[in-house]
Amino acid sequence: MLLVTNNGKVREKYGPLCTVQFVDGGHTDVLTQVRDLVHQGHKLLTHPLAGSVKPNETPFRSVAMTEETGPLDLESLELVERALDVCRQFPPRFHRGEDAPAEMREDFAEIDFRLIDGALAPRFGS
Amino acid sequence: MRLELGEIHISDIKLGDCSKVENGVLYVNVEELKALLLEDEDLASVEFEVVHPGESVRIIPVKDVIEPRVKVEGPGGVFPGMISKVTTVGSGKTHVLKGCAVVTTGKVVGFQEGIIDMSGPGAEYTPFSKLNNLVMTCEPKEGIKQHQHEHAIRMAGLKAAAYLGALGKDVQPDETKVYETSGVMSGKEKYPDLPRVGYVLMLQSQGLLHDTYVYGVDMKKSMPTILNPTEVMDGAILSGNCVSACDKNTTYHHLNNPVIHDLLEQHGKTLNFVGVIITNENVYLADKERSSDWSTKLASFLELDGALVSQEGFGNPDTDLIMNCKKLEAAGIKTVIITDEYAGRDGASQSLADADPSADAVVTGGNANMVIHLPKMDKVIGHPEAANIIAGGFDGALESDGSITAELQVITGATNEMGFNKLSAR
Repeated sequence: MLLVTNNGKVREKYGPLCTVQFVDGGHTDVLTQVRDLVHQGHKLLTHPLAGSVKPNETPFRSVAMTEETGPLDLESLELVERALDVCRQFPPRFHRGEDAPAEMREDFAEIDFRLIDGALAPRFGS
Repeated sequence: MRLELGEIHISDIKLGDCSKVENGVLYVNVEELKALLLEDEDLASVEFEVVHPGESVRIIPVKDVIEPRVKVEGPGGVFPGMISKVTTVGSGKTHVLKGCAVVTTGKVVGFQEGIIDMSGPGAEYTPFSKLNNLVMTCEPKEGIKQHQHEHAIRMAGLKAAAYLGALGKDVQPDETKVYETSGVMSGKEKYPDLPRVGYVLMLQSQGLLHDTYVYGVDMKKSMPTILNPTEVMDGAILSGNCVSACDKNTTYHHLNNPVIHDLLEQHGKTLNFVGVIITNENVYLADKERSSDWSTKLASFLELDGALVSQEGFGNPDTDLIMNCKKLEAAGIKTVIITDEYAGRDGASQSLADADPSADAVVTGGNANMVIHLPKMDKVIGHPEAANIIAGGFDGALESDGSITAELQVITGATNEMGFNKLSAR
């Protein structure tokens, strides 16, 4: 599995468990990286939009993809392009984690971690 | 299944030193209830306030709203799997304290949201402004993690609602409503010419602050399944969802699900309401595929002619909504979806993050991005500074005079996707 994230908390747990591509940037940067990987033949495993936390609220995002590549997956492309559309529609309040006030930063990172961990932990038995 | 709902009309709540329901007034022994709730070792304090419709009061941030209920006859108890044992509910007799609610507030995370204004323009957008509310401000002990904090407030709200509901056990209801459902076979025999209609109820289930519990089971870990409509009236479905105030389903919404009430109202008249299919909204795409396959499979298994699908939340769940709609329509089941819109402040952008031509019958709860101005209230319960950081708030949302400029999505229940809205075009 390939995990694309800009959340240190996610990297800390999943770094030893799967391939993590750490993005030094904001929410939109993560989705842009995911879009590029889709074009390289990776497929989405998790939805690129997070729960009901709007992309313009949270600066953190983690998306799981297949590690292996194949032909371009149009469904993945459509999903990530739509997610990028949502980001364009609602420009982020905090571009990067460090732009958010310290207390909120930790909460945003925790929620992003919990959302992806809820989906991945059962698959890693962790 | 047959459930009698005995409604006890509550016209006021008074805090004091004895707990009872008398002449439509709910009296609450504050010390006794506080002692019960503080048995939870994660909670440092619980404070109570009573608010009434029309008062100049703002509650922020709201976590859950719960209607007090109690099982009077029949198997099980209210809020099964959380407060009562897991025994199947939905039959017998249940008493409801109508016209009041427990409202929990407390800042679980820095960006938590949800406003209830008891008067002014904001009050028009939330059904909870019309209730007598017992507001509980719950503060956690030092060092408690976010998920423990969420759990503590969730359980405190349910315990308080069960405690208050129990006060109505021996009270004669002002009004009794009877809900009776048919079995799959008996319904078909009884109403051979009526269209068979089911309700696909989508439950938010993505993780911390996004969870829903069914008989105590975290719905993200369950496959879609079938409930009898009356089970939800006894609290089979409970909210652990704190995010997206305008379109999350509080426990109050589940207990009073208007889609279920309206379908039961029409059952045997214009349609045959066959049952409720509950499904989840998960993070993993394969889970979304599997769950929408299963909700459609169950709908086909019930040989439905038509289905209503209600969503919870925005963004990622739009994909589940459209998957459900597409697959149901492809199975020959006429489908209506109930959602809300994030169409931008001018209403000109695409409303949903997903779409399909088969979604040709849509009911909307409104545009969550619409900007509203909420005037200053004389009293604020909770954490007013949350207005600056909640969804739809923006820097400067909390003006120096105490008024708030924000998007409609800050108001609890404003664009509810069960259609539980006060304002409508009807």
